Amino acid sequence: MAILPDGAANDTPVVDIIDERLSRQSAWRRFLARPDLGAFAGVVLVFAFFGVTAGGTGMFASDGVLNWLTVTAQLMIIGTGAALLMIGGEFDLSVGSMIGFVGMMIAIPTIYFGVPIGASVILAFVAAMAIGALNGFIIVRTRLPSFIVTLASLYMLRGLTIALSILVTNRTTVSGLKEYSNGSFVAQLFSAKLFPGFFQWLADNGMINKLPNGEPVVSGVPMLILWGLVMAVVGHIVLTKTRVGNWIFASGGDANAARNVGVPVSMIKISLFMVTAFGAAVFAACQVLEFGSAASDRGVLKEFEAIIAAVIGGCLLTGGYGSVIGASLGALIFGVVQMGILFTGAPSDWFQVFLGAMLLTAVLFNSSIRRRVTGER
Amino acid sequence: MSMNVQTVEAAAVQPDGFGRPLIEVHNLVKHFGPVVALAGVSLTVRAAEVHCLVGDNGAGKSTLIKTLCGVYRPTSGDVVVDGKPVSFASPREALDAGIATVFQDLAMIPLLSITRNFFMGREPVKKIGPLAFIDMAFADKVARSEMRKIGIDVRDPQQAVGTLSGGERQCVAIARAVYFGAKVLILDEPTSALGVAQTSMVLKFVRQVRAKGLGLIFITHNVRHAYAVGDKFTVLNRGRTLGTFTKSEITLDDLQTKMAGDKELQDLSEELGGTV
Amino acid sequence: MKTGLTGLIRRSLLAVALASPFAGLAITAHAAGERFVFVSHSPDSDTWWNVIKNALKDAEHDLGVTVQYRNPPTGDIADMARIIEQATASNPSGIVTTISDFNVLQSAIKGAIAKGIPVITVNSGTAEQSKKLGALMHIGQPEYDAGKGAGERAKAAGVTKFLCVNHFINDSASVERCQGYADGLGVKLGDQMLDSGIDPTGVYNKVKAYLSVHPDTDGILTLGPNSADPVIKLLRDTGSASKFKSFISFDLDGDISQAIKDGLMSAAIDQQPYLQGYLTITFLTLYVRYGVIPPNNVNTGPGFITKDNIAMVEKLAGKYR
Repeated sequence: MAILPDGAANDTPVVDIIDERLSRQSAWRRFLARPDLGAFAGVVLVFAFFGVTAGGTGMFASDGVLNWLTVTAQLMIIGTGAALLMIGGEFDLSVGSMIGFVGMMIAIPTIYFGVPIGASVILAFVAAMAIGALNGFIIVRTRLPSFIVTLASLYMLRGLTIALSILVTNRTTVSGLKEYSNGSFVAQLFSAKLFPGFFQWLADNGMINKLPNGEPVVSGVPMLILWGLVMAVVGHIVLTKTRVGNWIFASGGDANAARNVGVPVSMIKISLFMVTAFGAAVFAACQVLEFGSAASDRGVLKEFEAIIAAVIGGCLLTGGYGSVIGASLGALIFGVVQMGILFTGAPSDWFQVFLGAMLLTAVLFNSSIRRRVTGER
Repeated sequence: MSMNVQTVEAAAVQPDGFGRPLIEVHNLVKHFGPVVALAGVSLTVRAAEVHCLVGDNGAGKSTLIKTLCGVYRPTSGDVVVDGKPVSFASPREALDAGIATVFQDLAMIPLLSITRNFFMGREPVKKIGPLAFIDMAFADKVARSEMRKIGIDVRDPQQAVGTLSGGERQCVAIARAVYFGAKVLILDEPTSALGVAQTSMVLKFVRQVRAKGLGLIFITHNVRHAYAVGDKFTVLNRGRTLGTFTKSEITLDDLQTKMAGDKELQDLSEELGGTV
Repeated sequence: MKTGLTGLIRRSLLAVALASPFAGLAITAHAAGERFVFVSHSPDSDTWWNVIKNALKDAEHDLGVTVQYRNPPTGDIADMARIIEQATASNPSGIVTTISDFNVLQSAIKGAIAKGIPVITVNSGTAEQSKKLGALMHIGQPEYDAGKGAGERAKAAGVTKFLCVNHFINDSASVERCQGYADGLGVKLGDQMLDSGIDPTGVYNKVKAYLSVHPDTDGILTLGPNSADPVIKLLRDTGSASKFKSFISFDLDGDISQAIKDGLMSAAIDQQPYLQGYLTITFLTLYVRYGVIPPNNVNTGPGFITKDNIAMVEKLAGKYR
């Protein structure tokens, strides 16, 4: 940036003065320097690794791809919310418990109280977002760390899930939902498989494998994956291209400064907790309608996976910086690693060791690429 | 508005809107429970005037700023803006009334781009159907041209504000306030953390802003800086204004003495052999 | 900077190349013979499965096959379904899986069978469920019947009020055990089933609390070592063992066998997990190689271990029994 000579300020036309302090950067470096795409390096590394170690194991056959893509999509759904919230300066540890809770909220009214499944789902979403808003409200009012408040929610929601299911049904697993979901549009919204005809065509033309009975191994794209993509795209657009997105960055970057220029920080934070609750509800709805049952131990520890995806994707734990696309790439890395380790046949006792090691490697790789590219080192 | 130096001086003399009182503070008092932070502050700021508020640490400067810009409500006393008495319930209301404050922390978020910081809270939108998106192209253009007006050529307004120096950031904050139609600009210790070159950049910009017809309240404990740029000086001591002086009415040394409370600095000065 | 970036890429590719022994692992594993995947529902914290893991290793050795053991780390059955789908996608010679939650797992298990992979179900789940899924056979202990057997023994000992200590209440099989016991005893289950959790101190304190609120409890059923061991300790600490006419536990470990020898416990219900590991792999191997398979299911339990037959069991507890 050049300081112009005195008197030149208002008179000189806008001319491109080349500041010697900004050297030209190659397009590639600028690509990698974006917070969105720093995680891209980690994705490439992970695919290269599993391409070598698990190439012929079926990991990259159509049903293998569906397998890890499903895990990725689930994580994208809650990872988007976690990323937005982290950028906004807060954490939500109750996402996993919310998943279990919403599942019960869908299953119990439908099976035990005769509520139509569409209505159960909608009511469950409303309840989830109300609880999210309550979390946000408490955090904003009391100025307690969100870590603590949502940790309390984690316990209370998990406990409620167990207590209510035992109270009404005397068990902790509630099944039999499949009969109620036939013909329901809402159920289809979360559990349908798209483009079956296309996959049959692929199988008939030898591009994907067939089952012995002639059907394709993969019968369609699950709605779950569509939800993951939609949430990521919408989250990204809102964050980077709207005023609300700017306010999210501000709330996380410096909440006081933001308030002083009139950004509605409290409103933003409460809304973000409603977004994470929404994500948890989508996750739960897809899961419950896929399996036809709810259980009180669903979603355990998923909030940490969401945070991991966001951090791998470049979101700062301190807030104010990050990207939703990055979190989606982080979700991809996590899904590929989690399932990929199984494909390589590594001994299962060591599974968590390898998982942790690979995630650490991915994060370090991402951050070292980002540092080199932005010139910090 | 392109004026050369002579015209600027001439405008200050002609009352073409300039010279009218923009903000008047009468006997402002602020208590926090038993603590008396402000015990009677009075001052008037006119258009095209830099009014320096000097006071040592603990004099009540930051309480005064926060009361004027709407963070606190005064316990008693009144504030009159453009002839009308006002009472602000929030910083947003003060902003809407034309009183902009540049805090010491600048309300700049280092990780965000210059453009995003510049338009924080007041982002320009373009609508596509029912959805409103930030008009980033327009925002970038304006941010870049406003910065040029200060004399800084930002090659890429999408670069993070953290890459600017302290003085440059200070100027961005001021330019932002001016762009959004501030009538009165309150600057809280703008030069206290800056080096020599950057201080002169900021002070130069302050004079430019004054030339546009804004009223500036320049709060500082650095009397030298205040004297370099100010038209009027008000001394704040222990929550009370001790008097207002024009530049011709007071010398730099006297101002310093008044600010420090006459006796103590005198004694210290003698002890240190007159180097204070 | 440019060289730095190239250097980093070079080093990363080197790391990937160094990882190729992993690939070797995957490839040699396939070449050594048939590969089976054994999927259990247990969280990593449940140590009961060690005996089965040992059985799997012995089967690998004896039959010349490879067995990969898989489980969902947190015990989340939804994750288990994902693991079964992954196993299916990797095209093994066969899959052994528990049916810990029929509804959640049915789609994944049916998917494996539809792909032409032979499946044997083990441990959790009923014979009917196994048949419905289209599995070759079920090898396990019918939970309800085992509980009922224990309840009948308790009834014979004169028990009227009981406590069923359930340390894995999320698993429906656990509830069936308690229900079977109640029915064998001829009373209602009511709130005589306690959700103790799996943490030993938690179990200890919750059981202590229950017993002080219900002092006329005279029969105890614990559903495994995780619930039995703390209760044994409690009875020893409080010296109240004689109050209980029947104290039976599912499964066996060092503490339980000692308690049986000391007369603290009446019996242990042994589902003989070694058989669940060994037989499943044996039958799958024979099926894949020669196409032979028994046309019926195999019940590996309940076997009741008492003071009379404990000696041999004790020698091998935790490893093979």
